[in-house]
Amino acid sequence: MGIISRAFKNIGKNWYRFGLFFVTTAFWLFFAWRATGFLNSFNIFTLLRFASVQVMVGFAQMIALSAAEMDLSVGAIGAGVAMFVGALMQLLGVPYPLAILLGMLLGATAGFVNGILVVKTKINSFVITLATSSMFSGIMFITTKAKAFTVLPQGFVDLSRVWTFGLPISPLVWIMLVVAIVLYFVYSATSLGRKILAVGANRRAAEMSGLRSSKIRITVFVLVGIVAGMAGIMDAARMESAGPIIGTEWLLTSFAVPAIGGTSISGGNVVVFGTVLGGILTGTITNGVLLMNVSNFFVNFFLGLILLLAVGFDRLQKAYRERTSVK
Amino acid sequence: MTKRKSDLTKGRGRSAFQKFVSSDWGRLLVIDVVAVAIMSMVSKEYLSTFNLFVITRDVSTMILIGFSQAIVLAIGQMNLSLGAIGGLVAVTSGGLMAMWGWPIWLAVLVGLLIGVLAGYLNGMLIVWTGINSFIITVATNSIFLGLNLGMTHAKPFYNISATVKAFGQARFGFFPYMGVVTIILIVLMVILLKYVVFGRQILATGGNWNAAEISGVPVKRSVVLAHIISGFMAAVAGMLWMSQLGSAQPMIGVSWLLPSFAIPIIGGVALTGGGASIGGIVLAAFLLSIIQSALVHLQVDPYYVQFLLGLLILSAVVLNELGGRRRRA
Repeated sequence: MGIISRAFKNIGKNWYRFGLFFVTTAFWLFFAWRATGFLNSFNIFTLLRFASVQVMVGFAQMIALSAAEMDLSVGAIGAGVAMFVGALMQLLGVPYPLAILLGMLLGATAGFVNGILVVKTKINSFVITLATSSMFSGIMFITTKAKAFTVLPQGFVDLSRVWTFGLPISPLVWIMLVVAIVLYFVYSATSLGRKILAVGANRRAAEMSGLRSSKIRITVFVLVGIVAGMAGIMDAARMESAGPIIGTEWLLTSFAVPAIGGTSISGGNVVVFGTVLGGILTGTITNGVLLMNVSNFFVNFFLGLILLLAVGFDRLQKAYRERTSVK
Repeated sequence: MTKRKSDLTKGRGRSAFQKFVSSDWGRLLVIDVVAVAIMSMVSKEYLSTFNLFVITRDVSTMILIGFSQAIVLAIGQMNLSLGAIGGLVAVTSGGLMAMWGWPIWLAVLVGLLIGVLAGYLNGMLIVWTGINSFIITVATNSIFLGLNLGMTHAKPFYNISATVKAFGQARFGFFPYMGVVTIILIVLMVILLKYVVFGRQILATGGNWNAAEISGVPVKRSVVLAHIISGFMAAVAGMLWMSQLGSAQPMIGVSWLLPSFAIPIIGGVALTGGGASIGGIVLAAFLLSIIQSALVHLQVDPYYVQFLLGLLILSAVVLNELGGRRRRA
């Protein structure tokens, strides 16, 4: 058995992930053909930068989904953290790396609040995070009066502006890739990742085999808070403005990106690099549709349709596998 | 007033007052009355005819938004697309009147039909694919909203029929004409859930899917039906909202998600399905409107409203959960 034949076997087993790759490529080819300026290096730069934020938003929800939870407050946390970091930099002159760290800490705190509430009250995470989402954005609006912070330090803005290695790739993309590698490592090689997946697949079984599910679930919400906060900060860097508009459109994105990437909605499995591709796909569609001068209001329509197709396809394929796997 | 069976068994050996307060809606009624009493002392204008009209008109749509979510919660599912359905219905029926001068009755009929179709689509997708209602309705929400914004380019129709505009402002004393529509729908909901086979089957499906299926309840049809009712309620709410604003705004429905869950949850509807307390929903809708109007009168920063709404949901679910645990113990 050579490496090559094993690789082919892997492709056979995971063809749907390559399917997503082909779909994304097909969209790139289509837009390259139909949308003027799509392959322009500046457009590629903008597209990848936008997609990396989408991927981060997807990561936040992916972590929650992996433990069979939902977090509707990712948008509120992202906006709150971005505004907080903006305020630290603009009003207090805090150096940007420290501000970002403090922002991630705030995200972690918000996630911890979610986690504690979900675990202690034993109420569906959907309802808890629906309520906390409203509270988080309430606090953000009350403290900032919804005014955006636009005087941001050069170093922070450069995170989105600079071309690295002479390529149309902003540092935001590299940050996203580092997070992807870290998450892949956490889920595939650490006991924490395994425990999260075990709790997500079957909480009762995980508890019976000695896992402390409450601790793990709180950790999950903390991780979601950190990643959502990072997504908010990255979006602020991308738009060069930390404003309350951040996160308002994340609800669909956060579920669509991991679902398109093959992460199961009911918990117990994650496909980290599928989420990366999912974010690139939604980013590509948003960008391409805008370039084609189709009324940009239809973007929503297409993204909804793509999400439906993705989950429907996933379901079909599972049914197919169940039918064909005779043991 | 007739007592419900569960209230009779629950409250055995307790005083009438205790029984009343421990019922789904008794507690809420007390809270509502106290809130209004406090506000009437704080602000003279609070009980003015006009303010009562504003509150009642607000409640008229809020109740329908609550119903739209509650009927889906009753089967243990969710509908995140109800706001988008309301918006889509408002702009299409408004657009038909404004752009093509369709008669009101026909535009309203088309609006209701769109609501029913949208609900049918949600229900069928959920039943066919077996995918979580949450994901399906997140996706269809985006689809309906995209259609709405794509057709209107986010521009409202101002030239809707004058009768519709007048309807939104008309009142008997403090009571809005719109309230009549809501009262009719409240009565229909009570009849549906208490006496009609379809309605009972919806509750049975939500209470215990397997048991319902084994005892011959067409569970899938019940799911689709619940979503159709949900779409219908959202459609009516969207058109009432349009007549209240006096124009068909594409942004109608964008802010409905939170209240749609808050009202049933505060009204005591369990998220696990199997029940829907109509009285609780109505009183919870009143509570939200009383509070929102109070915040306006007290000139509270509107940004606090969102925070307080979240806090209210959180306390309501926690209280319900604690109450439930005590009852089970």
